[in-house]
Order: sequence, then C-alpha cells, then structure tokens
Amino acid sequence: MIRVRGLSKEFGTLDNGNGGVLALSDIDFEVHDNEFVTIIGPSGCGKTTLLRIIAGLIPYDHGEVTIDGRPVTGPGPERAVVFQNFALMPWADVLSNITFGLEIRGASKDECQAKAIELIKLVGLQGFERRLPKELSGGMQQRVGLARALAVNPQILLMDEPFGALDEQTRRLLQEQLLRLWEHKRKTVVFITHSMDEAVMLGDRVMLMTPRPGRVKEMIDVPLERPRSREVEKSSAFLEIKEYLWDNLRAMQSGDA
Amino acid sequence: MTQETVTAAKSIAMRGIAWPRGLRRFAGNGALEILALAGGALVWEALGWGLRLQWLPPFSKVMEALLQFVYRGVILANLGSSLQALVLGFSLSLVLGLIVGALMGRYRVVEKALDIYVHALFVCPSIVFAPIFFAVFGLSDASRIAIIVVYAMFVMVINTSTAIRTVDPSLVEMARSFGCRERQIFFRILLPASLPLVFAGIRLGMGRAVKGMINGEMLIAFVGLGALAQRYGAQFDAAKVFAIAMVVLIIGLLCNALVQILDNRLTRWAD
Repeated sequence: MIRVRGLSKEFGTLDNGNGGVLALSDIDFEVHDNEFVTIIGPSGCGKTTLLRIIAGLIPYDHGEVTIDGRPVTGPGPERAVVFQNFALMPWADVLSNITFGLEIRGASKDECQAKAIELIKLVGLQGFERRLPKELSGGMQQRVGLARALAVNPQILLMDEPFGALDEQTRRLLQEQLLRLWEHKRKTVVFITHSMDEAVMLGDRVMLMTPRPGRVKEMIDVPLERPRSREVEKSSAFLEIKEYLWDNLRAMQSGDA
Repeated sequence: MTQETVTAAKSIAMRGIAWPRGLRRFAGNGALEILALAGGALVWEALGWGLRLQWLPPFSKVMEALLQFVYRGVILANLGSSLQALVLGFSLSLVLGLIVGALMGRYRVVEKALDIYVHALFVCPSIVFAPIFFAVFGLSDASRIAIIVVYAMFVMVINTSTAIRTVDPSLVEMARSFGCRERQIFFRILLPASLPLVFAGIRLGMGRAVKGMINGEMLIAFVGLGALAQRYGAQFDAAKVFAIAMVVLIIGLLCNALVQILDNRLTRWAD
C-alpha cells in the first residue's frame, strides 16, 4: 500500500529560505494494493512532481511517503516508472531496452532473454525485437516503455501521462491493452493523466488535484464494473463522473483561460 | 559543423539543381570528387607553366619531387618519426580529453573550475607554447608530443563535456528509477548517448593533432616531415615543400577516414 501523509514540496528555495514555489501542499491519500488510481488536475497542480516523489526520484520537504510501511528514500525494486516521453535508449534495440531494468538488477542473460520474449508477446511487438526506437511509431515506443517496466515484475506501476504524447486512436488502443494487462495480472497503479475520459475509463478511483499549490481536492470512486470495455463510456455513471470532473476543472482553470 | 548538417546541406544542394539523371548517378559514386581533383590538378599545372612564379611550380614538378622523395626513402625515414609523435600525442590528448571532458560534463563544480582554462587554451594559438615546451623538454620527442597535446586536446574536452551535459535528462531519470548507481548511469547511459558528439570532437581533434605534429616539427624539432618542409622552405624549393604538403594532406585524410569508420560503426543509431 502506498501511503502519503502531509506531504509538501517546495522548488527553488534559496539558502535563506526565500524564493521558493510551493509545488505540493499537505497531500494526504493512499493507494491500496492492486488498486488503479488515476490522478487528474490542471497543469501546475504538481501531479508529475507527486509521482516522481513516490518513485523516489526527487526528495520531499515535509510529511511522509511510505510503501507497505517503509518510508521512500529512493527508487526501489517494488516500483517501476513509465515515462511520458517514453525515455527509450535510442542506441539500443527493442529487446535491449526491455531488458534494461532486468540487467541493472543483475538478471542473467538467459533470464533476460526469456523474460523479454514473454513481454514482447504480451505487448504485441513480435518481429520488432531488433528495431531501434526511432524505427517505431509512438504507440509502439510506449509499449516498449511499458514492457520495460513490467519486466522487473514490480508490485507498483507509476505511470506519468504515459499516453499523453500519442494520437487519439493509438491512445485508446493502448488504454484497452493496459486494462487487459491489468485485469490479467493485477498491480497497484498510479496513473497521471490530463484526459478526463482516460481518468474515468481506467481508474478505480480518480484523485482530483488543484493547482498552486498542488492539493488533493477530492478522491472520487468510479463504480464501474470490471472488466471494462468501451461500452462503459456510454453509461450514465461514466458520463456523470466525467461531467463532475469537468465542472471542477473548469472552475479551477477559469482564471487562467 | 556536424556530419548530419553536412549531409543535409549536401542533399539540399543536390536536390536544388535539376541534375541530369546520368550526372547525378555519376556524382553519387564519388566520381565528382575525382573529377574535381583532376580539374584542380589541371588548373594548377596550367597556372604553373603560364605564370612561371617561383613559389608556384607546376603540379607535375611537385609530383616529380614527391616521387623522388619516395624513391630515395626520404619520406619513409621521416614519416616514422612524425607518425610516432602523432600517435602518442593524439592518444594522450584523447585519453585526457575524454576524462576531463566527462568530469566537466557530469560535475558542475569541475566545469566551473576548469571551463575558463579550457576555453582560454582552446582559443589561444597553441604554437605560443612551443618555446616553453622547448625550454622544458629540450630537443626531445616530449616537446613535439606536448605540442600535439595542446593542439588536439581542448576541442575534445569541450565536445565531450557538452555531449555529456546535453544527454536527455529523462534517460538519466529512467536509469535511476531502475536503481542505477552513478557508475552504471555513466557507462550505460551517458557514455553511449554522448558518443555522436564525442566523435565529432575526436574528428576535430585528429585534424588539429596533424597540424600540431607539423608545426611542432617546424619550430622545435629537426626531425620529421615538418623539419623537412622547414629546410626546403629555407632553400626556396617550392616543389619540395608542396610535395611534403601532399604527404601531410594524405596523412590528414587517412586519419580522418579512420575516425569516420569507427564513428560510423559505433553511432549508426544516430543517423
């Protein structure tokens, strides 16, 4: 379980304590095991900062972040991150990109090979094992990013707007693929998005954040049955939640537009 | 200019003009380069005979001098000594350049401390150090090698540090998220990612090393191709000076080709 208590984070603080920008303020929430939580909020609400703190990539100032009771002090083997810009190594082929995390964690060559073959099949990249990232479409590149994260068999998957850079059709296909994968092999997922459809379609709960400083506005339950198909998008519950999110987001952003 | 911009400029230039199809295929085979060289030689020959200037002997006279050098073993005798200094000097500047550049690229403190020195030494005409090296090392090989190092090293330092500093930070973050230590980040991310720019620096450094080799020999040593050029220059024997220049030119081109081959093999992904 991920537990965040009284978390705040300031950027750019000078040595005399002045000049900082409060990115996150007094964040409280938890994500249960095998739960899928999506986080949505206007730009500047610190959602990516929050994810990077949970990933152990940046330090935080106040409060506590624990995973199964252990405080987060850096990256850990129970977590893996999927990045918005894919973060694939351009010099390495699909296979080597997927096995990167495994190799770092000391897996043998045979182990890596076997795992990579399994994952390539899982994300549907057969025949592209020896291709370089630049030879793949954006959707395929992110499937490599997803396979790389899954390869280390993490208990927690941290996804930072993973489909944000993709076109609408590709994004929908990947959403469906991610749902299937998650139904098949449950994991705890924290998923940042700026798409309301995506937030409701994927999440068990949607965490709504407000900007400047980033705070948790509300945790919204998504009572849609699983496994979900595109059909749920037509259900009144789906539309209701989406509408509710939009009302809130519009109110938050009306000052900016 | 990077290789990419060169090829890009080339392809734009080629496309801009409506080349006849046959000529374009001809050009693609490198025949145009050969044609340009042959044309240059012809113009040189004509000017040499036409103007009859003391400093511009016809191309054929230069070739004659060159063939004589080769035949009498003059080139071979001096080439060895020059190349030895080149190999040692370039290797030393390569190792130093990569290490200092990598440290500057990765650590802000090192960069801040050394940046001003590196840029000053890069801009400063390296030959001004020749008298100092002569005073320190005397007439030994060490003087020539030191000259080559100051010629070649700093461009490689600058390129390497820029290369490391501009590696996509999200790749470093990705590596850290999988638990990479500093060492692993360096060897698995920073090093491969910076290779294309590092190689651009190595190519420039190689060119400067050849210059340093000749300049060093002309000024402080009485051996090698540079000393030979110096001697014939003093005798106003232009044909022989040009013949030596030809040899240096060929060495330069071969060195460049060597780096290019290595570059192509290691950084194919960046094309």
